Amino acid sequence: MAASVTGLLKPWTPRVLLVRWSRYNPYYLEPEPRKEVYHIPETELTPEQKEERELKSVRPIKAATNSVTSSVFNDPVLSKFVNMMMKDGDKIIAKGIITQTLENMKRKQVEKYHKAPEGKKAEIECNPYTIFHHALENCKPVIGLASIQKGGKFYQVPIPLTDNRRRFLAMKWMITECRDNKHRRTLMYEKLSQELLAAFSKEGNVVKRKHELHKMAESNRAYAHYRWW
Amino acid sequence: MALHRLSLRLRQTVAQVRPLHGSGCGQQQEAVGMEMRPETFSIFRTQENDPACQSEQHLGQYYTVPPSHFHTVFPHGLPPRYQQQVKSFNEGCVMVRQPALELISHLKRADYSKPTLRYLLYGVKGSGKTMSLCHAVHYCSKQGWLVLHIPDAHLWVKNCKELLPSSYHASRFDQPIQASNWLRNFRTTNEHFLSKIKLRQRYVWTKRESTEEGRPLGELVDMGVSRVKSSSDVVGAVLKELRLQAGGTEGGFRLAVAVDGVNGLWGRTTLKKEDKSPVAPEELTLVHNLRKMINNDWEGFDSMDPFIPVPVSLYSEKEFESCYLYYLDRHWLQHPHSQTEEGKKELIFLSNRNPSVLERLCAFL
Repeated sequence: MAASVTGLLKPWTPRVLLVRWSRYNPYYLEPEPRKEVYHIPETELTPEQKEERELKSVRPIKAATNSVTSSVFNDPVLSKFVNMMMKDGDKIIAKGIITQTLENMKRKQVEKYHKAPEGKKAEIECNPYTIFHHALENCKPVIGLASIQKGGKFYQVPIPLTDNRRRFLAMKWMITECRDNKHRRTLMYEKLSQELLAAFSKEGNVVKRKHELHKMAESNRAYAHYRWW
Repeated sequence: MALHRLSLRLRQTVAQVRPLHGSGCGQQQEAVGMEMRPETFSIFRTQENDPACQSEQHLGQYYTVPPSHFHTVFPHGLPPRYQQQVKSFNEGCVMVRQPALELISHLKRADYSKPTLRYLLYGVKGSGKTMSLCHAVHYCSKQGWLVLHIPDAHLWVKNCKELLPSSYHASRFDQPIQASNWLRNFRTTNEHFLSKIKLRQRYVWTKRESTEEGRPLGELVDMGVSRVKSSSDVVGAVLKELRLQAGGTEGGFRLAVAVDGVNGLWGRTTLKKEDKSPVAPEELTLVHNLRKMINNDWEGFDSMDPFIPVPVSLYSEKEFESCYLYYLDRHWLQHPHSQTEEGKKELIFLSNRNPSVLERLCAFL
């Protein structure tokens, strides 16, 4: 796609071209990667699902991206995290770091589990996926700040955040924290597993950053009426 | 060279046994059938922790290596991922598999008055050759044999930081770090033999240092560990002594030589001399002495012929089940979907029942 576009560039075309749109015609339908949907027998389909099936038999379908799988172990939040961690399109390295992180977290927790006395065993969470999700939840800010101009000056105004924005901020903070504040010799997966375990127990630098944002928003309550949406 | 071609395709491990009048294995009696009672939790575990008493009925089951023996029997030689697993699970469990049982039964029934027997474990990458070798080494050390376990011959032919020219022989090269590490581990494994075996020859190391005849082997090994510069020559001396004495009649002991990655001894090395020309494996003292242990005057396959090949295959269905249940028991498979039938089918599909691939998959699930 990019190759053909560069061939068509003329002196009057704008320097910046948006080539990462989804250029599919809206006529095309989304693919369905989940296996359960196809195992429902004919009799149990609701009328809407029946209609959808009829439609899918006549309309063309978009190609599925490389990151969606019909595997039971597919996790959309984790895929998003992998994409955010990816540099220069190298998903193999990013995915490798995440799998090493999960393995590292699980090893630490399982080791603690096996050495703990009987009473304490139930409290130790060994599942790296639940730890990841809970840690991310603990890092998500509830309220954000926006820079709004009023009378020549810029004020930091507290605003509500959408779910996507909150998730994005949590992941972004986690990744930047692990990239910047680590010793030169510590590997990324080691630092990431430490941060995730800390965030799971509501400690650590990322949760601290969330609290600071909340405090700033609380202190700027007075400007809340500058928001017009 | 035949061995070269084979080494490019397969990785091989070898165990060699020196014959001697020694105390035979007394524990050949059949073990009590531990699985008479239907114990649901131990369908994949067995209480029979002695490799000598394991038989076909224990195939696919895990036996525990007692923690006290773990560090003496296996100071080196276990795959690194397995060592991490032992640390995480707080126990060392090995699966009883067909190749290891076959090897142990050969070792039990071999006639030790005849010339030495060699066994070659071969199979695809990740099929469990090193673990089968370690199982056999555990059996040998339980029986009281002297075990010469070289963890990985590839470690001796690549990535050596220091390469000293040998003092003993002008054209050879020494590897002091590798040799001293190996001697240290050798000392941990075979503590009780070191004081019993006496040297038959006088060894002169420098103008002032020499080891006299009749001194115990332990002294030689200690000298090799402390004097790092001559450690490769000490390794050569140790191997020579063991070769001479294992064939003797008095004070009999049995010697088992286990080399992991044995094709490394005949392939190419990645080491370079100072003028950037490649080093051939013959020019390394350690490799030269080790090849003499595997009885050669010729190159490649001829030095291994005749040997008994023992194929190591991927997990069978029963072994896969056993591995899956073991991971479930040790709380290793944490993903909720991995504990369902769907997840299990997916694991079989993704790993193709390859032990190491399965282990890596289950690590992050």
